[in-house]
Amino acid sequence: MEEKTFEPKITAFVCNWCTYTGADLAGTSRLKYKPNIKMIRVPCTGRIDPVFIIKAFEKGADGVLISGCHPGDCHYNTGNFHARRRWVLFTELLNYMGIDSSRLFFSWVSASEGKKFVDVVSNVIETVKAKGPFQQYQKINKEFVLDE
Amino acid sequence: MNELRQLSKDLLQNGTVKVIIGYAEGTTPGRTKPFIARTPEDTDKFVFNKHCVNNLAVYLTRKEYKGKGTVGIVAKGCDVKAIVQLVQENQINKDDIYIIGMNCNGAAADFGKDTLAVKCIHCTVRTPHLYHTLLGTIDEMPKQEDDHLKMIEKFDAMTSEEKWAFWEAEFEKCVKCYACRQTCPMCYCEKCIADKSMPRWIESSAHTRGNFAWNIIRAFHLSGRCIGCNECERACPAQIPLSLLNRKMGMVAKKEFDYTAGIALDNPTLVGNYNNADREDFIK
Amino acid sequence: MEEKIISYSNLVSLTGDLIKTGCMVICEDKNGTGWKRIENPDEIKINHKEIPSNISYKEFVFPKTEPVFYFKSKKEDYDLIEKNAQPGKIVFLGAKPCDSRSVEIMSKVFNWDYKDEFFNEKAERTIVIGTACNYKDEFCFCTTVNIDPASEKGSDLFLIPLDENTYALKIVTGKGKEFIQPYLKYLSDGNPAKSQEALAKIKGPDKKFEPSKVREWIGNNFEHKLFDNIGSTCVGCGQCAFACPVCHCFDIVDEECSYECGRRMKNWDACQFGLFTLHSSGHNPRENQNKRYRQRIAHKFKYYTDKFDEILCTGCGRCSRGCPVQIDIAQVAGEINLVANQV
Repeated sequence: MEEKTFEPKITAFVCNWCTYTGADLAGTSRLKYKPNIKMIRVPCTGRIDPVFIIKAFEKGADGVLISGCHPGDCHYNTGNFHARRRWVLFTELLNYMGIDSSRLFFSWVSASEGKKFVDVVSNVIETVKAKGPFQQYQKINKEFVLDE
Repeated sequence: MNELRQLSKDLLQNGTVKVIIGYAEGTTPGRTKPFIARTPEDTDKFVFNKHCVNNLAVYLTRKEYKGKGTVGIVAKGCDVKAIVQLVQENQINKDDIYIIGMNCNGAAADFGKDTLAVKCIHCTVRTPHLYHTLLGTIDEMPKQEDDHLKMIEKFDAMTSEEKWAFWEAEFEKCVKCYACRQTCPMCYCEKCIADKSMPRWIESSAHTRGNFAWNIIRAFHLSGRCIGCNECERACPAQIPLSLLNRKMGMVAKKEFDYTAGIALDNPTLVGNYNNADREDFIK
Repeated sequence: MEEKIISYSNLVSLTGDLIKTGCMVICEDKNGTGWKRIENPDEIKINHKEIPSNISYKEFVFPKTEPVFYFKSKKEDYDLIEKNAQPGKIVFLGAKPCDSRSVEIMSKVFNWDYKDEFFNEKAERTIVIGTACNYKDEFCFCTTVNIDPASEKGSDLFLIPLDENTYALKIVTGKGKEFIQPYLKYLSDGNPAKSQEALAKIKGPDKKFEPSKVREWIGNNFEHKLFDNIGSTCVGCGQCAFACPVCHCFDIVDEECSYECGRRMKNWDACQFGLFTLHSSGHNPRENQNKRYRQRIAHKFKYYTDKFDEILCTGCGRCSRGCPVQIDIAQVAGEINLVANQV
């Protein structure tokens, strides 16, 4: 019997102007990467409230990627600068909670960096695959679930 | 205390303020409660002693005081920190308040307790750093070990699994009463993210997952803004050690960005601003 | 009423037997925060002379969060699935009279125009082993709201401490009698004279106000300016409602929803919350805290009494002790009584 290997579920919050376009470039260049990643497009990384990350984990994500424009290139000038500060605080908070913050990945990927996008995503998928499923949230997700 | 009563009476009589928010005696001698004096006679009820642990700044952002005249407030140093932070965040106009600063000799941890509150042990603002009038005297306060800081350091040294197990046990007790939010002077949002239902970001049910989401997000929204009054922990009916969480985030803000909340009126806010040299070594 | 005697060690053994047969035995936890299910009979706590717990035990008959039903889609319709309740008795051990009456008082509203099966199903399985109470502090006012700290009313079995190691055990209700049948071996013959003596020593708190006067006054003075002040420092935290043994408001929310499935949850709610009376039109009839606090007082001392002949308050004082801004409900009612007397 074939054993089903663990395939991680990754949610990616990507900014519309840089990373999303970069991902699109990866597609038009026919660069291949694994399908574990589901992308959610936001106007800017500055839009991302850490509650999105928590929600992703609650909904079953094993890893979360956040990617946006390089500093200085933000379409809205300063959105990614604000986001950058938030992420420092949030990762510290997650660590203090005992939640593995190494399941949270950040990158700057510009619209012309299709290859970089593929590299980043592949790295995230491989890393999370090696870590295994996100036990902590899977456990608390089971409360009040209807048993079959 | 008589000074306080007389000053408050004068302020109300000559119309400098519309109301004064202060403390009055509670049900037992070891308790005080917030009291709003609207007439000069009301001020006879004012008291100030070591049982005045409440942070009265929580009332300043209420709609009923906005634009209705100057509000007087009896404030210890920690309360003034909250006022300063609120001014920094443009929630109150500093010209609309009259701060009766009180020199403080420490507050009891909670009603009916004699131990010093955690926030008093490492207090640097026994004389408030902002006031219109200053009352009271500084007396000897017994020096105490900052056991709370030691607890945080010990907690930091725990493994990830141990930390998770600790918070899981704590948040299981949470009943989602939102007392922490309601007593916090910095939680002034008219529509809290926890109350948004379209979409529902933070589940309102009191199961462990919903409780984790609420407490994590509140701790995050307070990072760099919490002034450490610990009213949240005091109000929590399930006795969850919220100060362990909020003080740690304050320490992170200091370490990473050299920022302390509630110190100077013209300081920029932490997450409302950025620096080109902010850390990004964790970003690929 | 039949009366027996039980020693403390026999009470521990009895509890051990109850746990073994699968009963949920609920006692106050050691640090007095709330009540919890005990796994070990050594954890029993019969609190007859200490301060009441911070939170009452109502969460065992009225959970803080509970699934109402689950729904699963099937073709063009939905299946509604209810999770079956766990069988077995819920035994509250060591309930003071201010707690033991809580299930009784709440069941009036839960059996009014709609029979709440979630509450009833648990209430039916409940056995209250109450205890006479020797504690009082400045916040207790059970006697004011017609609750007697020496009375077995509300309990199925009632313990009266005779000395450090002995209790009288009154068998109060038929339910209690049936329940104790298998455990008669732990009981010895009663001594009514001694238990009477112990009860006579109990002096409850002094009367703080006259509930009927308060009720009448509220009915006639809804718009009185007194209400502009008494709730003005309330921060709307809801601690009072959540700690209270008889507050029972709840909210219904849907969770985990997708087109395929979801669940409907019943959660504790409080009239002190800002959003409690927010209409979908955006209008909020109780838009400030004064009005919300007025509602609390009026509901507890007037409306509930008008409908069900019970005061929605047991005088346990938890709301006042735990209030972060020290609003004392007995003091508030006392103020109303004073104003009522002046007229």
